Amino acid sequence: MSAQRPAQEEDPVATLAEGLSIWVGKLSDLVKKVVDTGPIRNVINWARMYSLWPVNITTACCSAEFGAASGARHDLERFGVLPIGSLRQSDLIVIEGTITKKMAKRLRMIYDQMALPRYVIAMGDCAMSGGLFHDSYSIVNGAHEFVPVDVYVPGCPPRPEALEQAIIMLQEKIRRSKVYEQG
Amino acid sequence: MGPLLSGKTYDFLRTETTMSAPPKPVPLTTVESTETSESGAQTLTLSVGPQHSGSGHMRLIVEVDGDIIVNVAPDPGYVHRGIEKIIELRNIIKSIPVIERPSIIDASNLNHAWVRSIEEIQGVEVPRRGQYLRSLLNEMNRIMSHLYWLSIYGVFLGHTTMFMWPLGDRELFIDLAEKLTGARITYSYLVPGGVRRDLPPGFAEEAIKRTEYFEKRLKEYDRIFFNNPLFTSRAKGIGVLSKEKAIDLGCTGPTLRGSGVDADLRKDEPYAAYPELDFEVSTRPDGDSFSRAMVHMDEMRESCKIIRQIVKKIPSGPIRRKAPIVLPRGIAYGRVESARGECSFYLIGEGGDKPYRARYITGSYRNMAAIPAVLLGNRLADMPTAWWSIDYWPVEADR
Repeated sequence: MSAQRPAQEEDPVATLAEGLSIWVGKLSDLVKKVVDTGPIRNVINWARMYSLWPVNITTACCSAEFGAASGARHDLERFGVLPIGSLRQSDLIVIEGTITKKMAKRLRMIYDQMALPRYVIAMGDCAMSGGLFHDSYSIVNGAHEFVPVDVYVPGCPPRPEALEQAIIMLQEKIRRSKVYEQG
Repeated sequence: MGPLLSGKTYDFLRTETTMSAPPKPVPLTTVESTETSESGAQTLTLSVGPQHSGSGHMRLIVEVDGDIIVNVAPDPGYVHRGIEKIIELRNIIKSIPVIERPSIIDASNLNHAWVRSIEEIQGVEVPRRGQYLRSLLNEMNRIMSHLYWLSIYGVFLGHTTMFMWPLGDRELFIDLAEKLTGARITYSYLVPGGVRRDLPPGFAEEAIKRTEYFEKRLKEYDRIFFNNPLFTSRAKGIGVLSKEKAIDLGCTGPTLRGSGVDADLRKDEPYAAYPELDFEVSTRPDGDSFSRAMVHMDEMRESCKIIRQIVKKIPSGPIRRKAPIVLPRGIAYGRVESARGECSFYLIGEGGDKPYRARYITGSYRNMAAIPAVLLGNRLADMPTAWWSIDYWPVEADR
């Protein structure tokens, strides 16, 4: 390859680095291919599916039903969902209800700080399309306007069972997706 | 009849405002600045919330000197949805779900304030059975709201059992309310003129069974949490709000009663079925976090008693009287004692099916003034105990 290049750019270190980077690129492509086709993918996806830790952020009143779902009767921890304070260690944002313009900026900041892969569940009619408050002057009509959403949960507020269903749907989505294309 | 009712115009109440430039926001970083105070000590400004396990949907800008809190500024408005404006655009029945949303764990109490103010303008009398059913759902809601508060208190103090137990016991009353109204937490049960549905068969026995079971559970709460040094050492003497200060700040509800003021609208201005029911208003003299927590516990006990009284002595008769969907010209002020204090509506009707203006004040909104008062001078580690004992629900305060 270096033979085709002009003579004045012949720098042994640069050539070596370029060759290596090509090899590293090819190697990483190979690794991705192996991981995504083999049983390694199943293992990684299995681990991701059952340790979905949501960020501790509440946007509006659906948090009451999120609390009920985390509580004794419904207990989301059965599905590996454990609300956690540190957003660097969390994988999931559950947007609980109406998003005001003031909160939307903060939510986007939190989303940007989270490590990949990261998922978003939009809970409640307000997070889907504005819901009851669609004509209000201070809200954002739908979470998809500022973050990509994986699962929508309709209801005002959704019952805890609906939230459980959303978690199961998200897990199914993770199970089917490729390792390097998640988040 | 005041000048507002006789004259045609009261446009001065809805003045046109021009949008001025918003105030400069405080930066969003966690550690904002270090400043040197007058005493020469360095203070540090921290931003607690809205993404914080001990804040909820609001932010507290806390200035600390060492670990002593020297200044607190609450930053509300993360859930401000413009409900007062939305009410002006919908008719009075369609407004009911919107009015419930600010505090869906305490929905029927807010709903009650709304229908009371409407009925005052319309001059509609509610049948006695309807009044009893209203009080029944109100008291169930009060228990649910206090239990939700208690579970979050458990989380704030790192007591996971106290998170799980109240939420589990809350489902007892959620099931009961679902039987009565058809919804888990957002009922829209109270309508102008009465209530939507009558008692289902077998409700009374079920209610008595569940409240008696729940009172036994409350004793266990005392054993595991309220008599536990883990809680008492962190709550007694922390976040003291004196009687005079609580009155000056305009506090209401359990926050006011925790400071030793005997003020409860259910006694002071009896509405619905409360004049015929026997219950006590719980007050505690100390004004610290522990007193406010114990006021909540006492109120849950009293609410259990009220529920049992209601299902035993509920009169027969109609549950609803026909009320027009028109709001006649007039002014009304309807208020009730919700779980977090006095919730009130100042309502102006102009003859259509929509109100001209509705001012909506909730308990949390009034108690926001107490947040800096209870936090100043405490240590940063005591912040969750002192702050959450006020039972501040940001959605309700922002409306």
